[in-house]
Amino acid sequence: MRSAWRAELLKIATVRGLWLSAVLAAAAIPAVSLLVVSTGGLGPRDTATSGAATGSLIGLLAFGAWGATFAAGEYAQHTIVVSLATVPRRAVLYTAKLTATATTAGVGAVVASTVALLTVLAVTPRGEHELGDPAALAGVVLAVMAVAVCGAAVGMLTRSVSGSIGIVALALLAPKAAADLLGGLQRWIVGASPGTVITQIVGGAQLPTEQAYPRGAWAAAATMVLVAAAVGVAGSVSFIRRDG
Amino acid sequence: MTTSAGGRSTAAIVVEDATKVIDGVTVLDRVSFSAQPGRVTAFLGPNGAGKSTMLRAILGIDRLTSGRTMIGGRPFREHRRPIEVAGALLTPDSAHPRRTARGHLAVVATSNGLPQASVERMLDLVGLGAIADLPVGQMSLGMQQRLGLATALVGDPAVVILDEPHNGLDAAAIRWLRGVLRALADAGRTVLVSSHLMSEIELVGDDIVVIGGGRIRAASTLADFVDGAPGTAPVPLEHRYLELVGEL
Repeated sequence: MRSAWRAELLKIATVRGLWLSAVLAAAAIPAVSLLVVSTGGLGPRDTATSGAATGSLIGLLAFGAWGATFAAGEYAQHTIVVSLATVPRRAVLYTAKLTATATTAGVGAVVASTVALLTVLAVTPRGEHELGDPAALAGVVLAVMAVAVCGAAVGMLTRSVSGSIGIVALALLAPKAAADLLGGLQRWIVGASPGTVITQIVGGAQLPTEQAYPRGAWAAAATMVLVAAAVGVAGSVSFIRRDG
Repeated sequence: MTTSAGGRSTAAIVVEDATKVIDGVTVLDRVSFSAQPGRVTAFLGPNGAGKSTMLRAILGIDRLTSGRTMIGGRPFREHRRPIEVAGALLTPDSAHPRRTARGHLAVVATSNGLPQASVERMLDLVGLGAIADLPVGQMSLGMQQRLGLATALVGDPAVVILDEPHNGLDAAAIRWLRGVLRALADAGRTVLVSSHLMSEIELVGDDIVVIGGGRIRAASTLADFVDGAPGTAPVPLEHRYLELVGEL
């Protein structure tokens, strides 16, 4: 399993497009935070920590698309044949791919969140915003990892790069966009969607009470992780059952 | 898996009643044959006969509808370090076009815990050492075939499965490949190779399995296959093969 995981990481490291897009996805988080802060986009209740998280939705979309591209790209480039011939146990190959995706996304999100926080602190006038709780940026890391894993799982399910990117984007954006249609369910659905989970954990931005998860921010995060795990299991069952 | 007198692990390929139905079409129909260590077994058949499906099924890439395939006495998937048991070249375009040859082999080797030295050894063996850092997409089909062969051999496997390895090779490379196949078999490996190049199979094959319409049409030694009537000269392989599977 460890060898297969290392091989998946090496797949990323040996294709410039793959590692560069992961770097760009990570860079998007502090870049958007810088844009928001430098244009006066932070509200009076915002902290430096919540300011650092303002770029997280772009980061979620970028890492979700990256995970989907990494996984579905195996089919688009026909490399899945060699992958299956060298790691024929599908559960091992699949788990290695998803853990490598999570590892890369996690490292990228940690660096991105740290750089974003330092950027916000450097750009905002001293004393204008409180620091907040930097440890809450773990919520950004968790959400980015969950979305990237979902992207990879959907990529393995659909075998289509564009299709899986579309599904990930829809899953990220649709709950919030269609919140009014969800009625009483929006607290559960919108409240546990990755972007809203981050908002609840880092605080700052106004979140309508009807979209706040009933059991609190970390319960929302746990639900998000459970949903990601369910998507991962669905992808695994499909990958193991069907023919290559 | 067993160990030969020379200390090398050997493994036979055994296919028993392999049947594969895709969308109601029977692609493989109770196919049974074996390929033995120390011999080059040629797997012949017209386009669409089910050769590639059979080779993929042996490696567990395609799942059979019924029947079973085994390498070294067990399904390929059950081996702990699979690329030390069997290596395969199935399609020449199975390396990422933006990955270098060295990077591609490193991924394969790493997946089974092999050292980087095995990568360098293979690059030298297939003559790609000088262009190992060129993206695969910039390589000719012949070079990609060589890389595919290196991929198959990087684990120093007991079984080598090659699906039409002659495609895209020039005359010198075909002769080189002939020597490689012979050397692999002489070292005790089981070599199963599909090809449309009858002249090459005549030169390098020991055993022959012919498939047509998803069924085994012949399975014997090459010598027996081309043997004519008593007292007559052997029939050319191409002639005998076309007699069996039919001309266009």
